[in-house]
Amino acid sequence: MELLTNPIESSQKGSVASCQRYWIAGLTVASALGITLLLQHLFPYPFLFLFFGAVMVSAWFGGTAVGLTAVLLSTLAVDYFFVPPFHSFVINATAEAYFASFVFCTLIASWVSSSKKKSELELREARDQLEIRVAERTDELRKSNLELQESERRLRLLTEVIPQQIWSGTPDGSIDYCNQQLLEYTGRILDEMRGELFLDSIHPSDRDRFHLAWLHARSCETPFEGEWRVRGHDGKFRWFFTRCVPLRSSDGKTVRWYGTNTDIEEHHNAKEALLKTQSELARLSQSLSLGELTVSIAHEVRQPLAAAVTHGEACLEWLNADPPNLERVRESVRRFIEDGTRAGDVLARIRALFQKEAPAKTWFDMNQLIEELVAFFRDEAGRRGILIRTQLDHGLPNVEADRVQLRQVLLNLALNAMDSLTNTPEGEKEVVIRTEQENDMEILVSVEDSGSGLTPKTSEEIFEPFFTTKPHGIGMGLSISRSIIEAHDGRLWATPRPSGGSAFHFSIPVQLEKPDA
Amino acid sequence: MPEPTSLIFVVDDEASVRAAICNLLESVGLRSEVFASTEDFLNASRPEVPSCLVLDVKLPGMSGLEFQEVLRKSNVQIPIIFITAHGDVPTVKRAMKAGAVEFLTKPFKKKDLLAAIHQSLERDRARRDEETAISELSSRFGSLSAREREVMELVTAGLLNKQIAGQLGLSEVTVKLHRRHIMEKMQAASLVELVRMFDRLKPRIRS
Repeated sequence: MELLTNPIESSQKGSVASCQRYWIAGLTVASALGITLLLQHLFPYPFLFLFFGAVMVSAWFGGTAVGLTAVLLSTLAVDYFFVPPFHSFVINATAEAYFASFVFCTLIASWVSSSKKKSELELREARDQLEIRVAERTDELRKSNLELQESERRLRLLTEVIPQQIWSGTPDGSIDYCNQQLLEYTGRILDEMRGELFLDSIHPSDRDRFHLAWLHARSCETPFEGEWRVRGHDGKFRWFFTRCVPLRSSDGKTVRWYGTNTDIEEHHNAKEALLKTQSELARLSQSLSLGELTVSIAHEVRQPLAAAVTHGEACLEWLNADPPNLERVRESVRRFIEDGTRAGDVLARIRALFQKEAPAKTWFDMNQLIEELVAFFRDEAGRRGILIRTQLDHGLPNVEADRVQLRQVLLNLALNAMDSLTNTPEGEKEVVIRTEQENDMEILVSVEDSGSGLTPKTSEEIFEPFFTTKPHGIGMGLSISRSIIEAHDGRLWATPRPSGGSAFHFSIPVQLEKPDA
Repeated sequence: MPEPTSLIFVVDDEASVRAAICNLLESVGLRSEVFASTEDFLNASRPEVPSCLVLDVKLPGMSGLEFQEVLRKSNVQIPIIFITAHGDVPTVKRAMKAGAVEFLTKPFKKKDLLAAIHQSLERDRARRDEETAISELSSRFGSLSAREREVMELVTAGLLNKQIAGQLGLSEVTVKLHRRHIMEKMQAASLVELVRMFDRLKPRIRS
C-alpha cells in the first residue's frame, strides 16, 4: 500500500519491503495448510476456510500482489493436498468445478480484502490531512486572536492614557462608554452618565446651549462641537471643548456617536484675559480720545473766554475811575469783542472738523452685517449668560449706507441691550435682533432686550448728549447713533417692549439699486 | 488803592490772556510786567519791591509747576498764583503743597485774582521787611567786639553778671560795662528786646 501512496520510493528499499511482504503470503498459507491438515481428520469433507483467511490476511497486510500470491500458493496447496487425486497437481474432472469455485472465492476474498484495506488507508489519509488542516487553522485562529487582543489592549490603553476624555453613545443619545479620564474628572460612574444624566455635569448657564446643540446634532445626524463648563469631582467647573461625530452604517443610518472632551480651561482663560484687555483697551482709548478731545476743546475755548471776561472786568474798572478813562474803556471793549469772536471761531473750527466725516455709502446686505455682529458677540453674550436671537427677514433688499457707521450704531444698540440685562435673572437674559421690510420705502431694524426697560420720559432723554444710566458711560452712544441714522435720512427711536424690557428701532430708506447700465 | 511800589509779573504764552490781565491790573492801579515764557521772566531784571508772579500752568517747554520747582531750588522767593484753562485735582494739590498762594481756573473772577494778588504782595512785603530788619540787626551785631559778643550770648541766655564774670574770668564791673556798650550798639531799649534780637539773629550767626 505504501508503494501505492508513495510510488517514488527508492527501488532498493522498495524491493526489500516487498520481499518481506511476500513472506506474509507464504507464512499465512503455510499456517492455514498446517492447521487444515491437522483438522482434516475431524471433518468428513475438505475443510478449506482457513485458506480464505490466509488470503484475506495477506491481501490486508501485503496488498493486492501479496494477496494474489497467497491465492496462488493456496490454490497449489489445495490442489496438491485436498483435490483428488491427492498429493498430485492433477485435477479430476469431477473436482474441477469445486476447485474452480474455490479459486474464484479466494480471488474474491483477496480483492475484497485488498480494496477494503485500500479504502481504509485512503480514509485514514484523508482524515490525517483533515487533522493537519484543522490544526493549521486552529493555530492561525489562535494567532489572529492574540493579535486582536493585543490591538484591542493597545487601543484601550490609548483611550486611557491620552489626556482627552472620550465617550460614545447610542443613536438615541444615551452614553454607553466613558474612558477613565472622563469618569475620574467628573467623579461619577458610567451608570450615572447614562441617558442624559450627564447633563447635570454641565454648568447651568451652558446647559441649555449644550442640550440644544446635542439635540440638533442628533436630529440632523451631523457632527457637533462647542465650548462649555463641565463640573469636576471637586465641584469646580472647567471649560471643555467637545467634538462629537456620528458613525454611520452602510445604509447611512447613525449607529453610534463618538465624542471627545478637551480641557481648554487655560486656553479659555488666556483668551478671556486677552478679550478683556482688548475691550478695556478699546474702551480706554475711546474714553481717552474723547476725554482728550474735551480737554483740548475746553482749553481752546477757555483762553479767549478768560481774556474776554478779564477785559470786561477791566472795562468796568476804567468806567468806575474818576474821571472815567474812556480811551481805556474803548480799548477794553474792542479787545473784549475780539476775544469773544475768537472763542466763536474755535467752536466753528471744531464743528467743521466733525462735519468732514460724511457717510461713505456702499450697497450691502443688512442681514449679513447683523449676522457678522452676532457672531462677534456670541462669546461675550455666552459669558454673561445672555441668549442672542435673530429674526431676520431674508427678503430684505440691499441698502445703500455707510457700513462702518451702521455697524457702529448696531454695536452700540447691542451693547446697550446687553448692559441693560445686568440685573435680569439668569435664564431670562435675552437680546433679539429683528429685521423687516416696513414698506416699499424703508427697512426696519430692531434691537430688543428683556432688561429693566424705559419710562416714557427717559425714552426721549436717552438720546440727549451726555445722558447716561451707566456708572462709567459718557452718554454719547445713542446721541451719536441717532445723528448717524438721521444723516442716512432714517429715524432712531425707542419703545417699551410689551413683554418687558425695551426695544430700539431704526429705519433706513431703501431705493431700488441703480440699474447698472 | 494804588501801589506804585509793587510789581506783578505775568507769564502766559497766550497773548490775549496776557494783555487782558495787564489791562485789568492797570485799571485797578497795579503795575505789571508780562512775559510769554519763563525764560523771558528769568532774564528780566526784577526791582527789589514787593512783587508776585501770575503763572500759567500749561506753558510750552517747562510747565508752570516745574518752573515753581526751579525757582524754589534757586532760592527765588516770589509768591506764585497759578492760572490754568483746566485744573485737575492732582495738579492743584501739587501746586498748593509746593507753596502756591492760589490756583485759579480760567476764566477767573476779578475779585479772586485781585484778592490773591494782594495776599501775595502782603506776604512778599512781610518777607522783605523781615529780611531788611534782620540785615540791619546783623550789621549792628557785626559792630560788636569779640568779647562783647561772648557777653551778649551769655546775657541773653539769662546768666547774672556775677555768673558771667566767673565764667569769662572778668570782674563784675567789666561785665556791666560790656553790657552797657552792647545795649547801645544794638539799640536795644531793654533786656527783653535784646533777647528777641538775638533770637532773630541766631540763624544768621550759626550760618
